[in-house]
Amino acid sequence: MLEISRLSKRRPGDTERSLFSGLELRIAAGECVAVVGESGSGKSTLLNCLAGLEPVDGGELRLGGTTLTGLDDDAYARVRRERFGFVFQAFHILPHLTLAQNVALPLWLLQRPAAQAEREALAMLERVGLRDRADDWPAGLSGGEQQRVAIARALVHNPQLVLADEPTGNLDPARADDVLDLLLARIRDSGAAGILVTHSHRAAARCDRILRLSESGLLPADEG
Amino acid sequence: MSPVLPRIFLASLKRRRLASALSLLAIALGVALGLAVQLIHDAALGEFGRGIRQLAGGADLQVIGPRTGFDEQLYFQLAQRAEVATASPVVEVDARMPGREGTLRILGIDVFRLAGIQPELMPSAEGNDTFATLRPEAVFLSAAARREFPGSAELMLQSGTALQRLRIAGDVPGAAGQMLGVMDIAAAQERFGMLGRLTRIDLRLADGSNRAQAMRALQPLLPAGVVLRPADAAAGEAGVLSRAYRVNLTMLAAIALLTGGFLVFSSQLLSVVRRRREFAFLMALGMTRRSLMRGLLAEGAVLGLIGGTAGVALAYGLAALAFRFVGADLGAGYFSGLRPALAFSPLASAAYLLLGVLAGVAGTWVPAAASLRIPVARGLHAGEGASEALVARARPTAAAGFLLAAFLLCQLPPWQSVPAGGYLAIACLLVTAVLLVPVATHRLTTLLQPRRSPVLRLATARLAAAPGQAMVASAGVVASVALAVAMAIMVSSFRSSVDHWLDAVLPADLYVRASLGSGSGFLTPADVARIAAVPGVASADAVRADSVRLDAQRPAVTLIARAVHGGWGLPLVAGSLTYEGNGQPAWISEAVADLHRLTVGQPLELPLAGEPQRFVVAGIWRDYARQNGSVVIDRQHYIQLTGDERINDLALRLAATAAPGRVAADIRQHFDADTLEIAVPAEIRRITLAIFDRTFFITYLMEAVAVLIGLFGVATTFAALSTSRRGEFGMLRHLGMARADIARLLAMEGAWTAGVGVLTGILAGLAVAWVLIEVINRQSFHWSMDFHLPYLPVAAFGSGLVVLAAAVAVLAGRRAMSQAAVRAVREDW
Amino acid sequence: MRRLVGMLLGVAVLMHVGATKAAGLEGEGAPYPEVHPGRSFSFPADLGAHPAFRTEWWYATGWLEDESGQTRGFQVTFFRVRSRIGEGSASRFAPSQLIIAHAALADAGLGRLLHAERSARAQPPLAGAEEGRTHAWIGDWRFSFEDGRYRATAHDPAFSLDLELHPEGPPLLNGEAGYSRKAPAPQHASYYYSRPQLEVAGELTLAGKRRAVKGHAWLDHEWSSEVMPADAAGWDWVGLNLLDGGAVMAFQMRDHAGRPLWTAATVREAGGETHRLPPQAVSFLPGRRWLSPRTGAEYPVEWSISLQLPGGHRTLDLRPLMDDQELDGRRSTGAVYWEGAVAVTRQDGTTLGQGYLEMTGYANRPRL
Repeated sequence: MLEISRLSKRRPGDTERSLFSGLELRIAAGECVAVVGESGSGKSTLLNCLAGLEPVDGGELRLGGTTLTGLDDDAYARVRRERFGFVFQAFHILPHLTLAQNVALPLWLLQRPAAQAEREALAMLERVGLRDRADDWPAGLSGGEQQRVAIARALVHNPQLVLADEPTGNLDPARADDVLDLLLARIRDSGAAGILVTHSHRAAARCDRILRLSESGLLPADEG
Repeated sequence: MSPVLPRIFLASLKRRRLASALSLLAIALGVALGLAVQLIHDAALGEFGRGIRQLAGGADLQVIGPRTGFDEQLYFQLAQRAEVATASPVVEVDARMPGREGTLRILGIDVFRLAGIQPELMPSAEGNDTFATLRPEAVFLSAAARREFPGSAELMLQSGTALQRLRIAGDVPGAAGQMLGVMDIAAAQERFGMLGRLTRIDLRLADGSNRAQAMRALQPLLPAGVVLRPADAAAGEAGVLSRAYRVNLTMLAAIALLTGGFLVFSSQLLSVVRRRREFAFLMALGMTRRSLMRGLLAEGAVLGLIGGTAGVALAYGLAALAFRFVGADLGAGYFSGLRPALAFSPLASAAYLLLGVLAGVAGTWVPAAASLRIPVARGLHAGEGASEALVARARPTAAAGFLLAAFLLCQLPPWQSVPAGGYLAIACLLVTAVLLVPVATHRLTTLLQPRRSPVLRLATARLAAAPGQAMVASAGVVASVALAVAMAIMVSSFRSSVDHWLDAVLPADLYVRASLGSGSGFLTPADVARIAAVPGVASADAVRADSVRLDAQRPAVTLIARAVHGGWGLPLVAGSLTYEGNGQPAWISEAVADLHRLTVGQPLELPLAGEPQRFVVAGIWRDYARQNGSVVIDRQHYIQLTGDERINDLALRLAATAAPGRVAADIRQHFDADTLEIAVPAEIRRITLAIFDRTFFITYLMEAVAVLIGLFGVATTFAALSTSRRGEFGMLRHLGMARADIARLLAMEGAWTAGVGVLTGILAGLAVAWVLIEVINRQSFHWSMDFHLPYLPVAAFGSGLVVLAAAVAVLAGRRAMSQAAVRAVREDW
Repeated sequence: MRRLVGMLLGVAVLMHVGATKAAGLEGEGAPYPEVHPGRSFSFPADLGAHPAFRTEWWYATGWLEDESGQTRGFQVTFFRVRSRIGEGSASRFAPSQLIIAHAALADAGLGRLLHAERSARAQPPLAGAEEGRTHAWIGDWRFSFEDGRYRATAHDPAFSLDLELHPEGPPLLNGEAGYSRKAPAPQHASYYYSRPQLEVAGELTLAGKRRAVKGHAWLDHEWSSEVMPADAAGWDWVGLNLLDGGAVMAFQMRDHAGRPLWTAATVREAGGETHRLPPQAVSFLPGRRWLSPRTGAEYPVEWSISLQLPGGHRTLDLRPLMDDQELDGRRSTGAVYWEGAVAVTRQDGTTLGQGYLEMTGYANRPRL
């Protein structure tokens, strides 16, 4: 589903040293890869590069057979809208939208008819177990519940790639396992490729593969 | 506390530079406008009062009559009374200066009588002529008057249609700030047609003579229409006259300051919310709530202090500029002939500085108190309730209460001739409007539920869910828009009413006048005959103006003797032009009707030529020209009663074929150059409306400032929000919104916020305008006007403001669109 | 000539001899009449005002003694000035005739003069100077002659005088039958008579306390159009009532070097015989001087007046009631002069008589 070849990115403000270079990665549909690495090794930058929010210095990205490298800002924004799903450590549930509206947000951006968007959002909420709270405001939600809404939002429009940045970083371990299980299950269900950036070995261990990011590229982690 | 205050609290002001700067600016502008208005009027009133005191000097009592004066025999009677130590006679003439605008006040005085009573009017002669002050051709000009005639040794004044050449023989050192000239009383009587007449007598009472007793003893000596009153009573007249206008401007300044306070409120609110974790942390470290509160209030106080100080400095600059370019009356014409000097006023400055600090502290109080109520543990928790404090409840009951209060306040009579009830009603209306903002936001968002555009949907969803934030940003907009719209409606109603009024009072083809009603120029019947004989003149109608005092407590009322029949109508609001009852008809202006509580059909006594004369009120008319009121009577009857055949104005109807310019030129040939003013109605209308616009110019300026401060509110709110919402914008970028979409979102929110404010403001403005027109104007100026809504300008102003707010929001949210915002999704809020 | 105190506040109203004036400012009325010798005086008509002349005064000075025996000097003066302004005016306020009144009291207990003034345009009934009889007034200030006696009234917060002055005989004409020359040029002259040895009775109110007073006074009535020559710096004048019933009036006009330009005297002996002395028969010898701490002017407050009478030489030594009898008018009229009560003494110190001395031109040139 996702093919990364010879991807390289220099450290910001430093033309000599690279964060990574010659990075190669292939992820199949329904596969979920964990990326671990030291703080500052460029995990988040890698995600931004994949999402087109930061320019790359070389290499090529292909998603579902389309080349993404070289797209302009607007085109990449459209790609993100249609084919990407995101889960953040800080959830970023909008407090002024109901749970259903938060989940429907990607569908709104895709200009789906309102009724359809609502229907699909509710279906998605059903799958993360929050159907009965669809019309609630996010203010009363626990961290785990918020992240479940975020997962629903990341998957509601059937993306080809789901990028999750420390999705369990703000959750206690018991909650974290539940949420991660849900996320992985939903990614696998949807047939998307998933990349999970995390510090947590416990979290990484639940993924199909674990890769460590360093200057020399993505290498299978020696432990796991 | 000492190192904490600068590092934690004051440093926070420095961090949010834009919001702090705008708050400062808003407070500074509010303070500056208020203080400037105060300084200017204090200086003008002070100079005016000084003028009155100079004219009254050490006088205990003042005898004052109509403008055309009273028989001088009264002076000889009073001067010999045992109660009177010194009597000083005065002949006061507003002398027309041919070829110049305005008049020069000439005081004919008895220099020997000044010493004990009006030393400030003592002329000082140049050269060593011992009789200099007695010479009939000598005039002494105050420094202010002298500036009007630089380098000239002579002064040309007009009496009737004749020219009087006077020699400038020296100055009046005691009256430097007054525009006046002093000359010998005998010469003034002779040269200005006042032989045998005086306009005023100032009295100093003998030692051991009691003022009240003396007034009782002397009162019976006075002819009708001549009043005896304490000498300081006159000082109040102009004060009362201009008070309404001054209160008006001060109110506008107060609104500006209040809006400044709102601005502090909104920026502090957001800053406090953002720093909640910081505060929770400080409290966890052991800082008490009380010292945190103190620190926050200190922030507000420092903002207020700096803004206030800048405002005080700015006020002096503004006042100096106003003196230089607009005049001491701010163009309203209340204090013409004054040249006041700007003086440092420590008390007023300190008071306004304090107001600035108060605005800063008050703006901080509410958000600080709200924020510090949240438990420490929750405050420490990430992401908790960032927008919670912003959710304000809609309070329809409170709003209804204020609305009712406003309605009741409008029913109150004026308090000391200030429409205090009206002003309070306006305050209530503004509070009502602000309280209604959440309701309006909610209504509007549900009403306009957008289906298609995700940006619009996001914007409306946000505003619908967080009306408190809308309220903060909108409150400033609501207050300023309401006032601006109200003033616009009031001014436009006034202007269109004046316009129609001019139609009614200027029916003739050509107007000839020798000087203003109060001036020294006049026409005689012979002059009129000469003018009527000019080819092209079909008919001439004469108008005589004098003043009459209906009672000692109020300023004189203008008496107009003219024809009322035959198409020379009056803009009546009650009664009729044809009077068929017994007795002589008089048509009174609304001010006379209000102040003297008169209605159609009631008897009215007018003192004419020293005798009380009976009239009947036949009608009430609208008179925008004379704020103290006016009475119109038939000129033939006036001549019978007084024998006064002089004429101030002549209204000419021309033959159909005659060209007004040609006729005017022909008339001028019969008189000395520049002794006549001849105007066509269009010209008079143009000048009148120009004066009108000048009067309201300063009002427009202050409105603009109020609106500007309202916009600042939008800017600071959005600047602060854009920082706190960086995570949100970062997420939206991830979800596939382009940078331009974020800008659109911000613009939409800005426009929406302002739009709600503007709409609410316009509605409130309509209500406020009604109060201004029906309560405040009526009570302060005693004239009615027709409601006139300037649809287009208001619509243009409103939509302009919305667009501007959108632009301001985008500008303020620039940072939200930067690359850094993308990374902000990772920041832990 | 005498005593010119333009006591108007701000306007020094009196004429300004020798000052250059802009053309056209001279006034519009008829010219001032000249003073010629040979005028015949007629009383009581000449007791009244002569409004055609430029300046006229009724000038009363004298000594008063109250019930406690304390003596004080007093002075009450009414000036009339013709301005030649507004003589054709129809206004009742026309300033063609001006009246100025001045009163002073010399009290040795105070050590300085008390004085007060009034001024007004002649404007009956408020102020005026009548023709045909002595009656000049401004408000309640008055100087008049009725029922054989003069009456002088002046009221001021500081002091009030209400006096009756009885003349003991007919007016005493000074100079050549009332034509009094002031300088070598004949046009510098006035019409001038005196009433010496006036018996005074009346009331003095001082510091709110009323007291009955009696004493002797001297009245001058003088009118003229041009008195002081351009080269004169000032003058010294005395009017003295002698205890034996005699009376002496003497004056000298001084030039800028202090030398006499003109001197004259009228001496009436106790028996009624009157001598009018020419310049060479009268000389003023200054004695002790007093320096005014106020103005810095130095006045000879003691004099020896030497008179060459037909019966022989007589010297009169003058001693002031007190040294400081200076009038400082710098803040009002600009005139600074010394005018006060003096006693006439013999060499042995015994008193021969009492009177008034006026000295002008020691601080600045008086405006006459």
